[in-house]
Amino acid sequence: MIRGARVAIWFLWLTLVAGIGWGVALHLKISSDLRDFVPPARTADQKLLLDEIGKGPGSRLLLLAISGAPQAQLADLSRGLDDVLAHDPAFAHVANGGNDLAEIASDLLPYRYLLSPTLDTHRLDAAYLREQLQQRIEDLSSPAASMLEPWLKRDPTLETLKLAQILAPQRQPKLVDGVWFSDRGEALLVAETRAAGFDPGAQASAVASLQKHFASLPGSAKAKLVISGPGWFGVQASRHTRTEADRFGAITTVGFILMLLLAYRSTVPVLVTALPLLSGAAAGFALLALIFGHAHGITVAFGFTLLGVAQEYPLRVFSHRRIGVETSRCVRELWPLLATAIVSVCIAYLAFFASGVAGLQQLAVFTIGGLVVAGLCTRWLIPLVVPPAKRDMAATPGLAEAWHLLAHLPRPRWLPWLVALAGVAVVVFAPGKFWQNDLSALTPIPKAELQRDARLRAALGAPDVRYLLVLRAPTAEGVLGLSERVAPRMRQLVDRRAVDGFELPSRYLPSAATQRDRQARLPDPADLQSALQQAMQGLPFRAGVFAPFVADVEAARKLPPLTPAKFEQSPLGARLESMLVAQGDGWVGLGTLSGVNDPTAFAALTKESNGAVHLLDLKASTESLIIAYRHRILIALGIAALLLCAAVTLALRGPRRALHVLGPMTLATLLVLVVLRVAGIPLSLFHLVSLTLAAGLGLHYALFFERRTGDELEDLRTLHATLVCVASALLVFGVLALSSVPVLRAIGLTVALGVAFHFTLSVLMAPAAHLEALNESVPDSSAHAGSGSGPDSTSPNQAPKQNA
Amino acid sequence: MHNPRWMQRCSMHAFRSALAAFALTATAAVATAAPGLAESLLAGMAKAPPVSTPFVLVSYRGVLDRPLVVSGNLRWLGGDNMERDIAKPFRETAKIADGTITVQRGNGEVQRIPLARAPQTNAMLAGFRALLGGDVSALQKDFTLAAQGSEARWVITLTPRTDSIKRQVASLVIDGRNHEPRCLTMMDANGDSSITLVGAMAEQGLRSAAPLESALAARCRNP
Repeated sequence: MIRGARVAIWFLWLTLVAGIGWGVALHLKISSDLRDFVPPARTADQKLLLDEIGKGPGSRLLLLAISGAPQAQLADLSRGLDDVLAHDPAFAHVANGGNDLAEIASDLLPYRYLLSPTLDTHRLDAAYLREQLQQRIEDLSSPAASMLEPWLKRDPTLETLKLAQILAPQRQPKLVDGVWFSDRGEALLVAETRAAGFDPGAQASAVASLQKHFASLPGSAKAKLVISGPGWFGVQASRHTRTEADRFGAITTVGFILMLLLAYRSTVPVLVTALPLLSGAAAGFALLALIFGHAHGITVAFGFTLLGVAQEYPLRVFSHRRIGVETSRCVRELWPLLATAIVSVCIAYLAFFASGVAGLQQLAVFTIGGLVVAGLCTRWLIPLVVPPAKRDMAATPGLAEAWHLLAHLPRPRWLPWLVALAGVAVVVFAPGKFWQNDLSALTPIPKAELQRDARLRAALGAPDVRYLLVLRAPTAEGVLGLSERVAPRMRQLVDRRAVDGFELPSRYLPSAATQRDRQARLPDPADLQSALQQAMQGLPFRAGVFAPFVADVEAARKLPPLTPAKFEQSPLGARLESMLVAQGDGWVGLGTLSGVNDPTAFAALTKESNGAVHLLDLKASTESLIIAYRHRILIALGIAALLLCAAVTLALRGPRRALHVLGPMTLATLLVLVVLRVAGIPLSLFHLVSLTLAAGLGLHYALFFERRTGDELEDLRTLHATLVCVASALLVFGVLALSSVPVLRAIGLTVALGVAFHFTLSVLMAPAAHLEALNESVPDSSAHAGSGSGPDSTSPNQAPKQNA
Repeated sequence: MHNPRWMQRCSMHAFRSALAAFALTATAAVATAAPGLAESLLAGMAKAPPVSTPFVLVSYRGVLDRPLVVSGNLRWLGGDNMERDIAKPFRETAKIADGTITVQRGNGEVQRIPLARAPQTNAMLAGFRALLGGDVSALQKDFTLAAQGSEARWVITLTPRTDSIKRQVASLVIDGRNHEPRCLTMMDANGDSSITLVGAMAEQGLRSAAPLESALAARCRNP
């Protein structure tokens, strides 16, 4: 094929891949909904966790601290930020201590007698009114007079203020210049996003908007805004991971290109190697878009990792090209073995499809589709764009010597069994926990930031993100009633220091029953009028000045009780909305807790309420979900391993040859586990996926080393190909192992270790016979090239079979 | 160093009025066309804390049919720290510190009000500091100042410039003799008013339990 045509096809291919990639990027929605990726919840708590994850009141809070400027300026910045955030639709609520709660509470003004607890202990009789009016007179000379005066005629008992006090945070930082300040002199704010805490996209835009607002405030240039909280951590973690992945990606790309140039002395591989992999990825995404319409972020990350195997396909082709032979012929010769590898791996991944978990099914579709397309591209497109070889890789200096060395390594046949036995013993008996269930151990957030979060959380009295008090009842009204009954018990727990603070849904909205009780205690207009007249005797209030009060009380007597739906329309509605949720047939109240010192103290509460109230440990629930998820993955991987064994055995026509392929793979995987266990690294899902990728690569090494070509040159080319593949994998994943991001480090370390072990063992455990056969002949790079070869040993110049 | 007599007995009064008076005096002094008056007033203002004065506050409120009278003592402790003790007819202590007004009546609960929520008090405190620290321009940010009369008998009028203060305060008028303010008259935006007697005027006390606003105002202006 002429050069022009090759370039044209290459360009067309590239354009097509880019086009599909672009089209898919437009249509495929990357979701971060954890529900896609975990097995169906079994317990009610797991279900609650999945329904509410990140939507909970605590996880939507961003804690803000402004520092680095004089106190007065910090207070101004705090007020400025409070003001802009209050008008930003991304935020449901913002507080800096300076908010005029009386103003917020004024929305609930008609309901004040139903919402405030005053009527639980007092009646609006002459004695109570007299005491109240006397206090109001004194208030009129106080500095607060101008604040109280507007309310006086309608609300002489100041229910609005009492309501505002109830709605105000219970534990507040100290007020300086009217806004919250920490002991370290930072101005503190709390902002509640409308977006769920673990919706990284929405949190990122909320944070960006927040930072933009701050930067536009006058005098903010010198001050420093610190953000903390789950949403921020999510944004930070993904940003940090992306930055690090990009940086390492750049390093390894340069290294990879240099390595290709060195290995092949040609620029062609550099221009072509990535195409099958990219085609596979584009096809995988297109399939996801067609079948599911969306893909989970974890699917994409895991899928890309697993698809890394496809990088080997073109490299094999480049190493096996021979002078004077069309590339298409070399590919044809390699194809049976490559196809065996691809089909085996794809069959194995079918196990994921059968797992019943949407995320794993997506993973299977992506990986199988991607590998098949990458394989097909290698088989039929690579020959169209790659020119005939100008040199034979078998002639690479030092390669024959390396092969000789490897062939002469001692290989006692009992050694693998002993190593396997010792390995199993180490894996089983090594101290330290086997699995990493704590997701936070994988967070790339620096410890200092986590400590700062704890400090700000304590200073602001912000709720704990780990614990929630769960109240269950058949109706919303039932939850509110339960919440009212639990409140006094919770106060006892606070007194006993089992918990520092709490917030229950009934704090915002009393049950309808309570509201009706209070309503029933409101006097009728005639009684109120005469009580008022009695109370005003001798006081300087003008006659008739409290007419609006009398009218309001009368209106309150006839009001239907405030419902959750109605309350949720008020400015504070978002708080209740996140604390009172429908789940299945019933309703759930979520009480937030701060500073849970003794989780066991809640057991009595659970017992008293017959289980209607209990402490939900989000960490424990998440861990139980992760365990369930891992269980599924392990089952899927186990089935995948069995399928792989069957496929390889079938392809190699017998267990004896299959053992030469599967033996090194198994042992290498075991050895990686040994290293991780000895190093005291608990295994996470990322390790499992990395082990799977390494095993996929190891399958290639073992399959190619097992191949009996009987042609020493072909064996040298196999060694060349494998060395390039191993070097590239070590380069990519070895660099990743240096990452400061735990997830990237886990993947890098596991794959790099795996590749090293798989390679070593594939060489050492390859069938001894054909290595020996090779040693008897002298490598001769001038020998005629062009011997066909394949896994079925149909090569015309094949050495006699010497099965040991 | 000459500390004017009025300052030692410093007659000031309920936060707003008191602080306003100082601020007003100072600013007016600066703004006035008579440089001699301004200079001498300013010189008279300079004082090292603590400064203490008795006060009588008479409030005229729309919801009441007769004025409210409270009296007690006012102290400036330096910087943004002030205290006002009401002794009669009930006991109340109010303090400004760290931008927060803390009020405790009798042995009752302590009430905290952000100074930011009481813009007039806030501005007046700023003015007070500006006066004693010599930074009058800070005052002129919030108020328009006008001075009339002579050093022996002067009236300074403070009109709010900023919306947050305008919403609550219509004007502040301070009457004084020589270096000594006598009365601070605050007109609220809603039509209520109050007159605070400070210094010698406060010591003289009221001549009636419920003085008419016009009568008291006349007394402030006349000997």
